[in-house]
Amino acid sequence: MSTRSPIAEGRGAGSGSPIVLQVFRGDTDGGREQRFEVPSLEGMVVLDAVHYIQAHFANDLACRWNCKAAKCGSCSAEINGRPRLMCKTRVDEFVGQEIHVGPMRAFPLIKDLVTDVSWNYEVNKQIPGFTPAASEPVPYRMLPEDTERVYEYRKCIECFLCQDVCHVLRNHDDKSAYYGPRYMVRIAALEMHPLDTRKRTGLLHGKAGIGMCNITKCCQEVCPEHIKITDNAIIPLKERMATDVYDPVVRIARKINPFLGAPATGDWQEAKPSGAAGPQRFAVKDVVRLKTRGRRLARVGSVLPDGKLEVWVLHMNGKVQHWDGPKVVRTSDVANNYGPLDDVGIGAKLVEQYITEDHEAQHRE
Amino acid sequence: MLVIGAGGAGMRAAIEAAAAGARVAVVCKSLLGKAHTVMAEGGIAAALANVDPEDNWQVHFQDTMRGGQMINNWRMAELHARESPDRVYELETYGAIFDRTPDGRILQRAFGAHTYRRLCHVGDRTGLEMIRSLQDRIVQLGIEVHMEVTLTKLLKDSDRVIGAFGYNRIDGAFIAFRSKAVIIATGGWGRLYQVTSNSWEGTGDGVAMGFEAGAEVLDPEMVQFHPTGMVWPPGVRGILVTEAVRGEGGYLTNREGKRFMLEVDPKKKELSSRDVVARAIYKEVQAGRGTEHGGAYLDVRHLGAEKIKKKLPSMYEQFLRLADVDITKEPMEVAPTIHYAMGGLRVEAETGATTIPGLYAAGEAAAGLHGANRLGGNSLSDLLVFGRRAGAASAAYLRDVALGTIDERQVGDEQQLLLLPLVGDGKENPYLLQQELQQAMQDGAGLAREEKSLKACLDRVLELRQRSARIRVPGSRKYNPGWHTARDLRFMLTIAEAIVRAAIERRESRGAHWRLDYLEKDPALGRVNFIAYNDGGRVKLKTRPVPEMPPELATLFADAAPPPPASQPPAPRPPKPQPVRT
Repeated sequence: MSTRSPIAEGRGAGSGSPIVLQVFRGDTDGGREQRFEVPSLEGMVVLDAVHYIQAHFANDLACRWNCKAAKCGSCSAEINGRPRLMCKTRVDEFVGQEIHVGPMRAFPLIKDLVTDVSWNYEVNKQIPGFTPAASEPVPYRMLPEDTERVYEYRKCIECFLCQDVCHVLRNHDDKSAYYGPRYMVRIAALEMHPLDTRKRTGLLHGKAGIGMCNITKCCQEVCPEHIKITDNAIIPLKERMATDVYDPVVRIARKINPFLGAPATGDWQEAKPSGAAGPQRFAVKDVVRLKTRGRRLARVGSVLPDGKLEVWVLHMNGKVQHWDGPKVVRTSDVANNYGPLDDVGIGAKLVEQYITEDHEAQHRE
Repeated sequence: MLVIGAGGAGMRAAIEAAAAGARVAVVCKSLLGKAHTVMAEGGIAAALANVDPEDNWQVHFQDTMRGGQMINNWRMAELHARESPDRVYELETYGAIFDRTPDGRILQRAFGAHTYRRLCHVGDRTGLEMIRSLQDRIVQLGIEVHMEVTLTKLLKDSDRVIGAFGYNRIDGAFIAFRSKAVIIATGGWGRLYQVTSNSWEGTGDGVAMGFEAGAEVLDPEMVQFHPTGMVWPPGVRGILVTEAVRGEGGYLTNREGKRFMLEVDPKKKELSSRDVVARAIYKEVQAGRGTEHGGAYLDVRHLGAEKIKKKLPSMYEQFLRLADVDITKEPMEVAPTIHYAMGGLRVEAETGATTIPGLYAAGEAAAGLHGANRLGGNSLSDLLVFGRRAGAASAAYLRDVALGTIDERQVGDEQQLLLLPLVGDGKENPYLLQQELQQAMQDGAGLAREEKSLKACLDRVLELRQRSARIRVPGSRKYNPGWHTARDLRFMLTIAEAIVRAAIERRESRGAHWRLDYLEKDPALGRVNFIAYNDGGRVKLKTRPVPEMPPELATLFADAAPPPPASQPPAPRPPKPQPVRT
């Protein structure tokens, strides 16, 4: 249906060799990639190519799209393995390569490139909305310096690419542990709204599962709106949650703007280890080695008020990570703290590097 | 109650109706929050007088009427100008945050044909801010939303609309809604043209459904070209370049580097009304002074990189990413693109009621406010003002009526029609037919029109209508866009016919309607609106006198001279209390 593009009009077609696309076709009963050749045209994006296929080869190819200008966030897909918007991905990025287009894999498939993203809308309903004071006079007065910080979060176009790439959501069949980056951004927008009066830190700590995020920053890498999801939404929220939920003293100490007060790296929740636990300190994103449970790697989901750790234990299935949890362990059950996950490495890299290293270390022992 | 469409008007209507105690269902063709409202970039027009204290509703009213070449419904223009400030303030109570003045009030920017700086905005993503705020409110109120459902038929019980029928896009299951009132908020029909800023959704289905059910379609010939769409590369042709670029001080130049708008409209220059600017660019290109790819240059380099990135961030990103153009260093290439339908269902100004009991319309799907040309920023305020009114009026209406009875025959007939493309032995491809229609409309009923091209266009439309009965699509009912397009196309053909027939009859040039064979305005035609109506399945036309303004408003237009331009810089002044109606 790419009628805006002259390729479909037969005009200007054939500027260069045809583009080869491998597009996923299938539904809940299974599917596979199907090969299509599409005439190339200057400035063409992947969505143009998909539209060409729809118009000429496969009328029933299912895909979502609306604005074709990266403003609505409908045409999310995985292009050569990377979650991206089809309308914003130029085909000339892939000169000499086949372009593989598939659906987002963190969500159940409906058909072809269309997935069932309704879970996101359900999550959204659980977040208490904007709540101004009843006495707040209308029209509102808000100073520019107070509103500007909120604009970044409100740029979100709900493409759900961050949800797709978030390994907490992607690698667990169970999405009940974490709302995902999109909804951290939404909660941040509400929490930082100058006139909002509601506290959502309890929700963050509980059902929203902010502790599940271990700051791998994959979400902010794929954000087409360039929202610094981890740096500017999740980390400040973790900070806010930690001060509200755990430590009123710290909260007073950090009474200054939480943005300014947030350390660039470091501990968001300081554990208060019980006497025997030794001097180790733990933070939410830390990767640890357990003394029990087969000396498995685990990462800290949250630090409980009594000093115990809620951890997610790593099980490998080939190269696929499964994090089981949460399990509550004492700090004395932990053999080692490798430090924050983003220093250790991201995702699969972490596993390859550290498991190998650790196996070697164990063998030496 | 049923609201069809979840853009600004539909959501605002649903919020109002739910607040009045109605049980509301909202139906939308896409996911919630993806409606075309998100594409609105520049801002929402409301005479808050935060930046230019001289502004007031009367001036906004005059600008709107003059922009619409006086064939607007004056009462709608009046309500719109009076109520839009409250609707903007109200949107902030839903959580929206507009750009601010240094003292914390809503900042306003200049826009085409608005006398004063009047557009409340959030950078260049105002529509997104609006849709998200309304969406959040819908969620907060727990309003029922049916996503990815297309309704194709209004169901009637004698002369009254009592529901609607259609299908679920995901699995193709048929679905019928029984409701006391239906609000059409389905937007416009920009997909009828080849070079368009509209998404696939703009197929005019709500208006066509209303038409089929017997409602009147007002001013169908008035289709707005936005002067500045992208031209190059071809894949992005038609994508909108916001008027805010000119609002922030961008210049339009031709290939010779000349700012041609200085001559076309020495007073408003680049910020003349959209019809004027679009024609000026078209004429430059026709005269051989266009850019390499057949457009004009739009230049913001003199604003400085910092301001560009702050005030026009998505334009910066859009050009960098899609066209390899850094707008802080190079000019943009732009040309007119289809943008908006001024025409739509004829409604009562105060209530949004169409000519059929139980059927309401709001937003772009309704007509009357904008006349022959819409001013930038007036659409977002339109959605809020008349969305709210339609929601309130229909909620009041349904207290006095009982649920109707669904006529199985109406449902059965529509079901047959829907299934036809999946079973028949036809050979037509829905996408290619749609492309032919778009080509026909672009060639024959585009920016510059004349009798000959319009009549040729009508013939092509009628021929396509015949062929559309022979569409065949492969696959099943499960998420099958080819099948969806087949039904959309029939709506598009109905609207196309109404546009072309009315465009032939309006033998004058007025606003967006530019006839090369009748270059002047005809005062007699300035006193009428054209109305398309359904006469046994055929599109028929009639005229209706333009509603006459009461004397107290008419006096505003007595002196031809428009009010003095905005003073610059704005004089500081104490905040003015602005009560909000609740």
